[in-house]
Amino acid sequence: MSKTHEFRFFRLVARNLAHRPYRNIATVFIIAIIAGTLFASQYLMSGAEQSLDAGISRMGADILVVPERYAAAGQSVILTGTPTSFFFEDSVFEKVTRVQGVAKASPQIYIATLFASCCAAPVQMIAIDPESDFTISAWLKRNPGVVPGVDDIIIGNSVIQNVGRDLIFYGHTFHVVGILEKTGMGVDNAVFTRFEDASVMANESGTKAVRKVTIPEGMISAVLVKVLPGASPAEVALEIQRQVPGTKTILPDGLLNAVSGQLSAVTRLLSGSTIAVTVVSIPLLGIISAMVADERRREVSLLRALGATRLFVVRLILAESFSLAIIGSFIGIGTAAAILVAFQDYIAYTLKIPFILPSPLALLAAGGGALLLSIGIVGLSSLYPVVLITSSEPYMALRGGEL
Amino acid sequence: MPSCSYIRGTGVLLVLLGILVILAPWFIFPVCEMHGLYLQAASGMQFPMTCGWTARAETGVGALIAVAGGLLIARGTRETRQAVGIFSIASGVIVILLPTVLIGMCKLADHPCRQLTLPGLEILGVVVIVVGGLLLWKRGDE
Repeated sequence: MSKTHEFRFFRLVARNLAHRPYRNIATVFIIAIIAGTLFASQYLMSGAEQSLDAGISRMGADILVVPERYAAAGQSVILTGTPTSFFFEDSVFEKVTRVQGVAKASPQIYIATLFASCCAAPVQMIAIDPESDFTISAWLKRNPGVVPGVDDIIIGNSVIQNVGRDLIFYGHTFHVVGILEKTGMGVDNAVFTRFEDASVMANESGTKAVRKVTIPEGMISAVLVKVLPGASPAEVALEIQRQVPGTKTILPDGLLNAVSGQLSAVTRLLSGSTIAVTVVSIPLLGIISAMVADERRREVSLLRALGATRLFVVRLILAESFSLAIIGSFIGIGTAAAILVAFQDYIAYTLKIPFILPSPLALLAAGGGALLLSIGIVGLSSLYPVVLITSSEPYMALRGGEL
Repeated sequence: MPSCSYIRGTGVLLVLLGILVILAPWFIFPVCEMHGLYLQAASGMQFPMTCGWTARAETGVGALIAVAGGLLIARGTRETRQAVGIFSIASGVIVILLPTVLIGMCKLADHPCRQLTLPGLEILGVVVIVVGGLLLWKRGDE
């Protein structure tokens, strides 16, 4: 009995909605815009934050020490993998290892590769010291079969080549032995090689490459630092800058601030649009609901005369409104998700932010938030018609005094 | 049976989608050669990149989708709707397969063809498939 009643109730809801298609399509459209913009701003923030987490954990370091003049370039290498080359003296490495609070340090050399054509990628080559490195070592621990030898490279996820194939940089042939997991950050655009192989490549480039690359003797580009357990990375970073003049330290928090800054204009625009649309839509939806309520007083009175309780009528109105909210939210969230997923590379490239697809939990939270807001807006705008309908007497309405 | 305006409307939509598939890789989401990026041989001769060939193939598929839409506008019988529905689904699949599997796009992630043309064509392909599916679902009886 109860099942039959529920079926009839929802059929009534569906028929009522189908009876006023244009008005309901307009309502669904407004809700879709609100839900879509809110979802988009949440999606972008979670994607950037998760990409940053993945990239920083891949870097494996608490602090990156770069030449003071090249702090911005160093940040770009980590965030977007913009190929660059810069150097400072390798004595910096020794000095950094002696700073209190430093547990481990490892030098790196950055070499921007040449841009030749479609498939000879301009990527960031990062030469590492296998003895002290902890960037690739974590990955190598998970892939015990890979033992990088002479001219072997491990490539980032966005560098197009397969394991076992070769890549040529500055005329020197390297052999791909591993591909790192996607992080959405600069490391995806990087290739990792050993100091010795990079040096051989540089020496040969004069005869083999279109342009000679020079790695100055006794120079490195950056020092990765892991702090002692319990030590504050921020304090150790300050100490490094104080004790080793001419250096600049980059911390994960600083990167997060940089990304938030780059994203702020977009998220502000999206949040602003959501607020503007919400503020305009609540009274607009209220007016639409009130008009519908006024039109439906006779219909509601008939229902009441047939035995429907006030509660039934309130449920009917709310069910119709919430159905529109849910349909609109799903359309808005679905459209926004399709566009954001399809164009995510373009968005990340244009905004110069690290970006990966957010986790299902983050997507669920963003979608759920947008859905709840839409239901809340519709709930608020339904209050007036609910009061109007439930306060009228069916006898008076049917008698024609009011209609 | 679906109404005449529904069938004509779907035909017009298919014609528009066909035109969009033609225009997307050249003007809406232009491929690399529209940005002046070409492959250069040692002799100095310039060739279109992989995405350029995809764009040319998409132009042909787009034209066929537009013709199918025109057919639906001219003669919307049940058989036509069914045939155009199946044809649209197949065309939509090809619109997606050309830049992803059959020909491909440039390999570099920061090339305009990968950032804009590829997702644009994928979305258009999905829409063409959905319209074809709707035509089949709502083909009705004569």
